Amino acid sequence: MQLNRRRELSLDLWAVLLLFPLIAVPFLTNNSLVYSLTHQVVIGLVATLGVYIMLRMDLLAFTVPAFMAIGGYAAAIVTKSGSSNLLLLMAAAFVVPALFAIPLGALVLRLKGTYFIFITYIFNEILQLLIFETPTLTGGSDGIAGLPPAAMFGIELSSPRMLLLVTITVGIVAALATLAVTHRFRPEFSSIEENETLAQSLGVAVWKYRSIGFIASAGVSGLAGFALVNQLSTAHPSSFASFSAINYIAYVFVGGRRTMLGPVVGTVLLVSMSNAFSSQAQYSSALFGLLLIAVVTIAPGGLVGTGQRLVAALGSRFRGKALASEPNKTHANGEHV
Amino acid sequence: MESIISTGLIGLSLGTQYALISIGFTLIFGILGVINFAHGGFYILGGYVAFTLSHTLGLPYVAAVVIATLATGVLGYVIEFVLVDKHVNDHIATMILTLGIYLVMTTGIIGVYGPEPAEFTFPVSGAWRSGGVYMPYSNLIVFVVCTLAIAGVYYLIFKTRYGIALRAMADDRAVATAQGIRPSRMFPLAFGIATSLAGLTGALVTPILALEPHGGEAVVTKAFIIVILGGLGSVGGATVAAFIVGMVESYTSVYFGGSKGALALFVLVLVILLVRPSGLMGRETRKA
Repeated sequence: MQLNRRRELSLDLWAVLLLFPLIAVPFLTNNSLVYSLTHQVVIGLVATLGVYIMLRMDLLAFTVPAFMAIGGYAAAIVTKSGSSNLLLLMAAAFVVPALFAIPLGALVLRLKGTYFIFITYIFNEILQLLIFETPTLTGGSDGIAGLPPAAMFGIELSSPRMLLLVTITVGIVAALATLAVTHRFRPEFSSIEENETLAQSLGVAVWKYRSIGFIASAGVSGLAGFALVNQLSTAHPSSFASFSAINYIAYVFVGGRRTMLGPVVGTVLLVSMSNAFSSQAQYSSALFGLLLIAVVTIAPGGLVGTGQRLVAALGSRFRGKALASEPNKTHANGEHV
Repeated sequence: MESIISTGLIGLSLGTQYALISIGFTLIFGILGVINFAHGGFYILGGYVAFTLSHTLGLPYVAAVVIATLATGVLGYVIEFVLVDKHVNDHIATMILTLGIYLVMTTGIIGVYGPEPAEFTFPVSGAWRSGGVYMPYSNLIVFVVCTLAIAGVYYLIFKTRYGIALRAMADDRAVATAQGIRPSRMFPLAFGIATSLAGLTGALVTPILALEPHGGEAVVTKAFIIVILGGLGSVGGATVAAFIVGMVESYTSVYFGGSKGALALFVLVLVILLVRPSGLMGRETRKA
């Protein structure tokens, strides 16, 4: 058990560490295809982490596009009002959706799992309609276009290289936030995931930890929305279509929902694949569909989970042989077997 | 006055369509505990099967509708039997499965028919008039057929032995199984019946509204709203809620226009959840 926990932590850390080398990408190449792929991977990953946080508590949330929209529009409105400081924008994109999540969470988190899914799905639709109905604030169906890029120390980060750096920074911040929340509350989240009733009877205030997770998920999704708006210099309702939630859900499940490495692997793989198929874009969704079916029927842990199982199987076989040749060491290794 | 009545008739016709979709959706949830994200896919598939048979192959529209209903039912049965059945107890797994199935279905449809909407027209045109009251024949026919279908479903569920077994299954799976009702037999059939209802609605309604590969998403959203309003798993609740939604949509679209009606419905759903989380007629049927 202890070993499992340590292994999961190391996989989570790897997921974050894998993002740092991305900082080199803008300095190594000018290739616009690589740039666009990196933008898509990082933004997709941040959105996917929003789904991942909720899955830690066994809740499947469709709220990610809605909170992305709230974060993206919040940043856009702040920019329009004259301040384009990167840190301020990131803070706005995190805090505003998190604030929205508090009353919404109070409303939906007391519902059981299935109702939760329905409501989060419908929440996206409500938000899309609200955007269309409030053109003075959100620009309605035109969105908010022509936004100046974020700035840092008075320098506009407007070149493609700087835009990509901003996206990668947002990605790293979001990954660190996810790591912090999921590890700080790991015992609580896990107990809710495994048996909510039992957790409650043992004194875990389920609603409290669910709210914390929900708020964190909203904030992280909001960061994804900001990165997207900053990349496109436009906040447009079509960037946050309800059904895009399915892509993020697919990234988590194909990669593996148990560790943070899963979303990273899933996002990199599926985004690259759908780019490779871009001449026949419509077929990439069938590929996602087949992968989702395969994950449920063949490989329940996703790619990372299946990989872990294989490694564990190989490891125990290997160790089994080693133990057979050295019977004296059985006790010393007992905990690990 | 006449326009109020006409609008009400349209609302009734919408209500029957929505009821047929949502009854199927809520049946699958009530009996299997599965949220069927592919439900809209079966609706669209029903439309395309009917379109191919009647427009491309020249079969009479009635035959096309019947075949579309059967085809979507059989497909639903097979999908439940092959894919969903092993995972019915894990609601996230089944949701991911049905999402995957939906994506494959829409892509398959795009692969065959292309992404553009199909030119599917209802075979009967014209409208019935009496005084100032006005109702297109197509809506009238849809209303009658859907009402008959709903009556059929009610008969099946509340009057036949099979229906009693299904309801027992929904009430308490363990006890029902102990009584000798076999889940492996009931589940695929229930799923197939539900998807055939979606296919029937699609075959009837898409020529009036629109037939396009991604139409299923709006249908699933509507089914979500209706089953929450009516109470998850409750067939009666879904029927009542479907008519409420149909009426609200019809009147708001005529008198307010735009998306106000949809917004009003969403607010209604949120209020219902605040006041009565189990829906209008729902009870704790399933420990979801």
